[in-house]
Amino acid sequence: MGLLRYTAFRVIQAIPVLIGITVITFILANLAPGDPVRLMLQGQEVDQEVIERVERQYGLDRPLHERYVTYMANLVQGDLGHSIHRDRPVTELMIQRAGPTLLLVISAYAFALATAIPLGIIAATRRNEPTDHVSRIVALIGVSTPSFWIGIMLILIFAIQLGWLPSSGLVYPWRSPDHYGYSGYLELAFQTIRHLLLPMVALGTLQMATLMRVERTQMIESLQGEYVKLARAYGVPERTILRKHAFQVAQLPIITIVGLNLSTALGGAVLIEYVFNINGMGRLFLEAIQSLDYQLIMGITIVIGAMFVIGVIITDISYAYIDPRVTYGDRD
Amino acid sequence: MSAEPLLRVEDLKTQFFTDAGTVRAVDGISFEVYEGEIVGLVGESGAGKSVASMSLLRLVESPGEIVGGEITYKGETIFGLEEGPDGELHEHENMLSNEEMRTRIRGNEIAVIFQDPMESLNPVFTVGSQLREFIELNRDLPNGEARQEAIDMLREVGIPDPEERYEEYPHQFSGGMRQRVLIAMALACEPSLIIADEPTTALDVTVEGQIIDLVDELQQKYDTSFIWVTHDMGVVAEICDRVNVMYLGEIVEQAPVDELFYDTKHPYTDALLDSMPRPDRTVEELDPITGVMPEAISPPSGCRFHPRCPDAREACKRIHPENREVARAEGHPHRAACIKHDVFGSDYEESAPLENGARGDQQLPASAVDSASGESERTDGGEHNE
Repeated sequence: MGLLRYTAFRVIQAIPVLIGITVITFILANLAPGDPVRLMLQGQEVDQEVIERVERQYGLDRPLHERYVTYMANLVQGDLGHSIHRDRPVTELMIQRAGPTLLLVISAYAFALATAIPLGIIAATRRNEPTDHVSRIVALIGVSTPSFWIGIMLILIFAIQLGWLPSSGLVYPWRSPDHYGYSGYLELAFQTIRHLLLPMVALGTLQMATLMRVERTQMIESLQGEYVKLARAYGVPERTILRKHAFQVAQLPIITIVGLNLSTALGGAVLIEYVFNINGMGRLFLEAIQSLDYQLIMGITIVIGAMFVIGVIITDISYAYIDPRVTYGDRD
Repeated sequence: MSAEPLLRVEDLKTQFFTDAGTVRAVDGISFEVYEGEIVGLVGESGAGKSVASMSLLRLVESPGEIVGGEITYKGETIFGLEEGPDGELHEHENMLSNEEMRTRIRGNEIAVIFQDPMESLNPVFTVGSQLREFIELNRDLPNGEARQEAIDMLREVGIPDPEERYEEYPHQFSGGMRQRVLIAMALACEPSLIIADEPTTALDVTVEGQIIDLVDELQQKYDTSFIWVTHDMGVVAEICDRVNVMYLGEIVEQAPVDELFYDTKHPYTDALLDSMPRPDRTVEELDPITGVMPEAISPPSGCRFHPRCPDAREACKRIHPENREVARAEGHPHRAACIKHDVFGSDYEESAPLENGARGDQQLPASAVDSASGESERTDGGEHNE
């Protein structure tokens, strides 16, 4: 089976999972206490007739399974419904907010990988030395500290006390410099980084800590491999063994962790966007929950669920591409 | 035989410093390897064979360390200690540096073939690229010729379609084919000595036979010397010129192969030969060596084999036998470390037989074996102390 067929195969396999996500989300959203129409009216007294008319307009008077079928029919056509609360299509609302979230999550991962891999390798080569112990403590703190708290601490130190970095908002590199009144693209890039730095570290620390420990364990295991002994016995320099022979093998689990932790990162982004006042999908999600905006809650949940599934598929495909031992499901 | 050996090992000691104590994995072994011969290093698991062979490349892994002795290869000092003016032991001034060991000895002078062909190749690189890397490191070939050399070498060790197999990954090779690749790696670097560390143990017997035939054939063609580490006396008989039998970190018997088989001098070697499964005997008739080999962390006093030796006497608990020349054959000494052969100055003849359960006619509970080794006093090696 070729890579293309394997990909198609995995996508088809994912369809039942996605349907499952929609069913659960749909039921949960409708079981939640509170009546969306009353909430929309914000306590104003209106005739029962008006309420019934609004419910009819949005199809809220029909039974659950009928509403689900309608919803799915629209979903297949790319229509995630209409936000009652905001009176805008859900798809449009989400597209507006997707950019900042993706920027945040991708840069957090870039930060996590760029720091975790070298630190993990250093810890592995200096096993049970002071460097290794320090890295273990840092990792432990990183794993056990909530990201929003790290965010708040970073704001307190670097924005409020030292005043080096902004405490809120993001600058989007895809906008023109004129939009912000900057002199040019150089300043735009600089400001983008400046604004991104704190939320990126706050969101990426957990990933960094996890990845660093995995990298260390994998490198230690890989360095004890027979193939490393063989390379040493044939006079391969220690540097090459570290960078090539041991390293390549050790990276496979890292890919898995990155793929599987995508959901954790997206979940973390919800809080980080709140702390740093970033207008991303995470904050949209929180606002939707607070206002019981069913359509929006479901839309975002389904998209995040789909992104997780896609993450897993990409992990599997890259695994098959990088590790020669993984076949595309055929037997020889 | 030429006068000067290719490799000379004298009183080599390698120890592991663990939390539980010092493990004397290799405890004063001496042997030589001459040009073009296959020298066997035989013994049970844990006898120190592998540690001894890795010591020759100075690749003993922490917490292990070579603590004494001398290793000379082609007149160069791989390892050597000498006493300095301050009375402390220092590394010999001519001893090769780590960098020299890596660039001049490992691979291009002394190559290895490891036991486990499944684990010895890196799973994420093609077989060809791994072979080519070692060739490039260890031979001065013009650019681009290493690849052709690698392909030729794969053909030489009997891998069909070497051009295609060059691009394949280790998991696409069978165990026997992978072992052939490892042999190709060793030969491709054109070393003078190859250490084969149980190269056929992980293979099934038919493949084992093929590999041994292949090595035999290539050894004659390239005239490479081999140190063949194994626990299998059958393999030894088939391939080795001379044999060193190891027990608990020591060489207990050393002889040309025919001499060893037909005129065995050490009870341990005898026991090893008797314990070999043979087609004319059933499993019930197998004659295993009783007990297990003790830990090298606290070896028994006197002769280390005495708790399991069918010939052991009271004196064996006290006297640590020296590996003495007891005969000569084919221009080589036949050495054995057993006081049976000490005609003078040994108490062997007078002392009472040990009841250690190693003889077939007596059945003792395991506790009796333990106490036999536990109560004895420790004496210095080889000294006659009465």
